[in-house]
Amino acid sequence: MLTLSHANKHFGAVRALDDCSFAVERGRMVGFLGPNGAGKTTAMRAIFGLVELDSGVILWDEQPVGPTPRLRFGYMPEERGLYPRMPVRDQLAYFGSLHGLDDRSARVAADEWLDRLDLAGRGDARLEELSHGNQQRAQLAATLLHQPELLVLDEPFAGLDLIAVKALAEILRGEAARGAAVLFSSHQLDLVEDICEDVAIIDHGRVVATGAVASLKRVSRRRQIEVQLENARPGWLPDVAGVELSTRSNGRLRLLASRDVDPQRVLIEAKRAGDVVAFTYGPPSLADIFLELVVG
Amino acid sequence: MSTRRAIFLVARREVRERLRGKLFIASTLVMVALVAGSAVVERSLSTSATYRVAVPVPVPRGLLSALERAAKPFDGPTIRLRSVASAQAGRAALDAKEVDALLLLAQDKLLFRDQVDAKAAAVADAAVSALRSHLPPAPELTTMTIHAPEKAKADDASTLVAYAGSLLLLMSLAVYGQWVVGGVVEEKNNRVVEVILSAVRARDLLAGKVIGIGLLGLVQITLVAGLAAVLLGTGVFEAPDFLGISLALVIPWFVLGFALYAVAYAAVGALASRQQNADTAGQPVTYTLLAAYFVGYIAVVTNADGPLTNLLTVFPLTAPLVLPARSALVGVPLWEHGVAVTLVLVSIYILVRLGGRMYAQGLLHTGSRLGVRTAWSLARRGQEGQTTRPGHGVP
Repeated sequence: MLTLSHANKHFGAVRALDDCSFAVERGRMVGFLGPNGAGKTTAMRAIFGLVELDSGVILWDEQPVGPTPRLRFGYMPEERGLYPRMPVRDQLAYFGSLHGLDDRSARVAADEWLDRLDLAGRGDARLEELSHGNQQRAQLAATLLHQPELLVLDEPFAGLDLIAVKALAEILRGEAARGAAVLFSSHQLDLVEDICEDVAIIDHGRVVATGAVASLKRVSRRRQIEVQLENARPGWLPDVAGVELSTRSNGRLRLLASRDVDPQRVLIEAKRAGDVVAFTYGPPSLADIFLELVVG
Repeated sequence: MSTRRAIFLVARREVRERLRGKLFIASTLVMVALVAGSAVVERSLSTSATYRVAVPVPVPRGLLSALERAAKPFDGPTIRLRSVASAQAGRAALDAKEVDALLLLAQDKLLFRDQVDAKAAAVADAAVSALRSHLPPAPELTTMTIHAPEKAKADDASTLVAYAGSLLLLMSLAVYGQWVVGGVVEEKNNRVVEVILSAVRARDLLAGKVIGIGLLGLVQITLVAGLAAVLLGTGVFEAPDFLGISLALVIPWFVLGFALYAVAYAAVGALASRQQNADTAGQPVTYTLLAAYFVGYIAVVTNADGPLTNLLTVFPLTAPLVLPARSALVGVPLWEHGVAVTLVLVSIYILVRLGGRMYAQGLLHTGSRLGVRTAWSLARRGQEGQTTRPGHGVP
């Protein structure tokens, strides 16, 4: 298990990490969420010693993280980086051996991942000769090749098309199923909601929520109400205290209500206003929770 | 993973990738071809040599054929005999450069103008012994010159070796140093360094890179200088044998000089901003290297044994360029070699510690160019790996 405990980091006057604490268990996939500049990248870099903390500790299996445990970690930085002129297979094997594989195992693993990511025919091509999408895959392979016990990916889904997103999500699920602890940052909250059991939400360097998505939803002070209305006057809103509009499109209203609001009152008002085609009541989306925690 | 394994892996990648690039192989072949070519030219010139030998009358019968037979094993230079009226007349002819040697059989002497030609002497000696084989053993021919030997020829060769040697060093240090900068800037700019440093210590990456590229440079300079040294030492070039050793000194001094300058190159490469290319990033070190070369050059030309030259021989920045040159020109006492090597080793140690930290600082710093002063102060605080990332990761 990876544990960040009371991590602090200043950059000049800026507080990048403010008593930041969270954990990632083996076999779990944790979405690391936060607005731009919240400290996600700093925290991830600190795990790999690329940023030195002012105070606080980072533990792996209860032991302080040092160079040796890090060999069993895999890191994919937000700004991807591989050698443009080096052949892909050699490159993967190189990163495998830097993580402690012997030469033979590194080459075998490189071939396996080239196969798995449909790059089998491109092993001898230089990285710069690959398409953008294939370069992304090669980067992923370089991160996963040595079967890391902890996988840290900074915005792995950014810039991917829908098919690539699905494929990557599948691979990350597979890594978690293999027993790896997976931590990745993302701004695509619906995606995180789909594929992660756990999240850590960070704002201004401080973790404002952490735990299972389901329990965050359960304890949220808000509920989501969706109403589909026909024949209502445009711009109608229920006049119920504690209910506010989230989004509106094609007669479909998404409302956020505080937990103590009785949904029946909203339904009654809606029936008066027009023909109710659909009505749902339930926990808020991850995006709503995120906004609640970060914006307030 | 052990430090040694990490350094080995990084160095091996450098060597493989540079060999893949063909530039190394091509430039090595060109340089070796130049050295070998100049030897061939020198040899073809010397084999076409004609020895004009004056002999006072009476010229013994069979002398010419004996000389020609004796000359055969020496690539068969043409022998032209010229009979002169007296030893006096022979000296005059020698002095007037009408002949190359004067053979005085009566005195068992072979006279040259100002420089003994060992090959000609050997030919004459063999021929005379053969002529006299029916007589009791005669004393060997004494060779001498009619003028005090001018050092001209030896000095020409020494000067050539001195300047070619230090120029070769300058070029190798600059070229391979620039390779280090190029590699560092590339890794920093395409961010591969973040991935590497997540698994490998910065100092291991630095060491591997310097050792890998340095090995290539060493192979090249060993082939080029080594070949030239062997050719000098075996007398293919017309030059004193000791110059072979002076030239061979270039090889260990490349190792020392490269260790010193490459770390500095790596540090400035790491401090470069993403907009800077490798050429401009390496400039501060290249200029230092050029300055060291020219100061050393001027000092050696002015007075190869003067106090300034003595100082520059042991001063770490100039020692790699000055010492082999001075050794070719006037010789360097052993203790000075010792002092120079010690001082360079101490400098390398200090530079690896400080430059290594600046390298680690610089690599992870992005955005604007990291000032030397900032990097230095960070390095002094010893906070390896700490970094700021304006606009990225810093809230």
